[in-house]
Amino acid sequence: MQLTSLGLVRGIIGYFVGLVIGMAVVMISRLALGMSAWDQEAGWVGGIVFATIGFMLAVGSMTDWLKWTRGVETPFHHGPPVGKPAWTRYFSVDYNHKVIGIQYGVTGFLLLIIGGSFALVFRAELADSGISFLQPGTYNTFLSMHAWVALASILLGVGGMANYLVPLMIGAEDMAFPRLNAFAYWINVPAIITLMISMLFGWDSGWTAYPPLSLRGPVGYQMVFWAIFGIGLSSILGSLNLIVTMLTMRPKGMTLFRMPIFCWAILATSIIQLTATQLIGLAFLMLSFERTLGMPFFNPLYNALGENIGGQPLLFQHLFWFYSHPAVYVFVLPGLGIISELLPVFARKPLFGYRWIALSSLAIALVGFLVWGHHMFTSGYGEYLRVVFMISTLLVAVPTGVKFFSWLGTLWGGRLTFPTPMLFTLGAISVFLIGGLSGPILATAATDLFLHDSYFVVGHFHATIFGGFVFPFFAAIYYWYPKITGRMYNETLGKIHFWLMTPGFWVMSLAQMTAGTMGMRRRIADYDPALGVEPVHMLITIAGFVIAFSILLMIYNLFTSAEVGALAGNNPWRSRSPEWQIPSPVPEHSYARPITVVGEPYDYGLAGSTYVAMAGAGDD
Amino acid sequence: MLKLPQSSTDRKHFVIVGALVVIATIALGFFLLAILPVKAQHSVQAEPIRWLFQLHVWLIAFLFALVVVFMLYALIVFRKRKGDDSEGEHFEGNTTLEVAWTVIPLILVVIFSFIGFQTLRDATRGGDEVQVEAVGFQWSWTFNYPNGVVSQEMVLPVNKPALISLRATDVIHSFWVVEWGPKQDLVPGMTTRIHITPTKVGEFQIVCAELCGLSHWSMVAKVRVVPEDEYIAWMNQKLVEQNIQTASR
Ligand code: HEM
Ligand SMILES: [Cu+2]
Ligand SMILES: [Cu+2]
Repeated sequence: MQLTSLGLVRGIIGYFVGLVIGMAVVMISRLALGMSAWDQEAGWVGGIVFATIGFMLAVGSMTDWLKWTRGVETPFHHGPPVGKPAWTRYFSVDYNHKVIGIQYGVTGFLLLIIGGSFALVFRAELADSGISFLQPGTYNTFLSMHAWVALASILLGVGGMANYLVPLMIGAEDMAFPRLNAFAYWINVPAIITLMISMLFGWDSGWTAYPPLSLRGPVGYQMVFWAIFGIGLSSILGSLNLIVTMLTMRPKGMTLFRMPIFCWAILATSIIQLTATQLIGLAFLMLSFERTLGMPFFNPLYNALGENIGGQPLLFQHLFWFYSHPAVYVFVLPGLGIISELLPVFARKPLFGYRWIALSSLAIALVGFLVWGHHMFTSGYGEYLRVVFMISTLLVAVPTGVKFFSWLGTLWGGRLTFPTPMLFTLGAISVFLIGGLSGPILATAATDLFLHDSYFVVGHFHATIFGGFVFPFFAAIYYWYPKITGRMYNETLGKIHFWLMTPGFWVMSLAQMTAGTMGMRRRIADYDPALGVEPVHMLITIAGFVIAFSILLMIYNLFTSAEVGALAGNNPWRSRSPEWQIPSPVPEHSYARPITVVGEPYDYGLAGSTYVAMAGAGDD
Repeated sequence: MLKLPQSSTDRKHFVIVGALVVIATIALGFFLLAILPVKAQHSVQAEPIRWLFQLHVWLIAFLFALVVVFMLYALIVFRKRKGDDSEGEHFEGNTTLEVAWTVIPLILVVIFSFIGFQTLRDATRGGDEVQVEAVGFQWSWTFNYPNGVVSQEMVLPVNKPALISLRATDVIHSFWVVEWGPKQDLVPGMTTRIHITPTKVGEFQIVCAELCGLSHWSMVAKVRVVPEDEYIAWMNQKLVEQNIQTASR
């Protein structure tokens, strides 16, 4: 087998060919305009744009569409590629949503490891005061990379869960637009390559990239802007696909309020992704244009009279947070959906208040659009705005509370068992509780004037993101692992993972909050030992390494169990959901015949009821 | 060992959990106050912030206890016993409960909005008996007084309301003295303000709280809060120094 028969390898070659072509095009155009040939800002932007196109063409994600323009028909090919080993399909363009789901999930996991490693590097530096091995410039790059790589990992992890599970859960053959689905996955790959290249040049603004700082720093910024644009494009296309799939491809009998609850979470998430992402894409493009072409969007610029004829730095913050606040719900709503999905199975009880949970996801998504200004309490915008955004932000607590109380109602009176996925679900609730409860204290503007840009905020959002994404993501991996591989993971290792990671995380977030109240600023390469935070930092670093070690155990477990794990059977968890009624691993065509929904999804304990009838119920 | 009822709706469960929630709230409240030592206590504006922070801590303690105690209790009492293969009790929800735990938090939101509004007002207002302009740039500060005195350290008289105007010359910075409480960004192209009435004599640090590039971490300056007579003496000395400098040029 030739290496170039792998789409990924062809794509990477295409990337670098495109990079050279793009840079050449820019240089020639500049010469033609009578300018010096090389300008690194313009050169790299041209290079990145062409490189991305080069990748997408070479990987084959646009092949079918190009054939259509020539009137060539492209029937679907199902199954592994002909004449190549089955695993190669994971490294090439494949239209099966289960393959794409795994591609998303594995890439996401990989990025989680890379992003986490960046954090370990600078956590080691921060363990004691004084600069030991990371110079401030490198520190800033690692810090900023940690953020965006971790955020990309979350977006891809969410994409993985949604792509793999949604069609299975609604009994659909595939997604509504399989080719668009593949395109939406693959556009992430050149974006990630671009993001990694930015490390060679460095950048130092943190993930928020506030101008004017981001307009002045090294050319690494350009790569960040375009990388995030690519990942954002993936979010937009992917969510469009998911919305259409859920709205049009449900089986007979599955009304919206009979969808598995995870689908509701993904519906709410997709609405945010489809709309809000456009704002950050736009904002980052504007930064790039301002750097490359000198369009004065954000940087103030004075004429001889001292009047500002340039831009407004605060405008960027509005655009940025109009996406980035709703985005935090993109990170957590799917995870909260996983919690709601798993609790009934392990409690053997109906989900308490299904409709309330479903609608609370939508409510969180919608209110989430009105609160962006809580990131700007100290920014110097109009003072009355502080009050407006304080109130709207506090309102988010209401639908969030509905979820917590409904989960308690689901546990109450159950027959609870505690295999690893259930442990991670409960761990998720405990951690998200820490994160959620530290939200309102940031929302009342007065307290935020003190806490903003301190470690308290760092503690808050790591707790929300771990509780809302990482823990549920791990729960989901352990839970669906037997469905994906056909084998059981090792339960003992899974439990050790949990009992290392969860207390480790509690300690880490509380210690971060402690450091914040003691006056520790976030995003600093070194701190004054006079603050008295040194022991706290040591604690955070140790906890961070414990968490990292526990994740290594998980990886080991997942790899070895795929070979030696006990055969899982179709439905080891005795779930009612349709994907558990079919063989494990799921066959190429998931459902041999269309399914029909004949009951409620979570009627555990209701004798004689089922959710789906598998054989099409003989009606057509 | 007391015998627990079989039915999940038995009142006994709720009495036990209720008692445990109360105990846990108190324990947790004091624990959180101990591990979250709010350093802001040396200005008039810091007081309302600390007060509201502590009020939040008690609410957090209660809500955390409420959820966690209920959860742990359920995990222990409703765990599946060996040999029991039955399913859980079948109930799908309870509209009264759902409405209750929507409306009660909503009331809390209204209350906290009101308290939050008042606290915000108290934490951001003050007089302008002393005025000083702080200019932030990569990666240091200078301070200009209205009478033309320029200084590398900020000096303020204790217990006098100060209005600090903030100006950035390059990128965004943020003015923060931890002990004083609130912070305020400096934005190129606009002038921002912060009111501070320092209440404790001593030396503190002004730090930049908004990532501003390479040496952001070391963008600090000294601030001295002194008795009023000392402040006047310092100011006079500065005036003399600077006049001499101007004259000899
Ligand atoms: C209970 C609801 C929540 C409330 C009231 C809340 C409130 C806030 C507030 C006011 C801030 C601004 C703090 C500051 O920078 O000074 C903040 C920051 C943040 N929150 Fe939340 N939050 C909530 C839930 C969440 C959730 C669910 C997430 C999901 C991941 C999240 C992620 C973040 C992030 C990432 C930041 C920091 C952004 C940055 O400055 O880099 N929050 N939150
Ligand atoms: Cu937010
Ligand atoms: Cu600064």
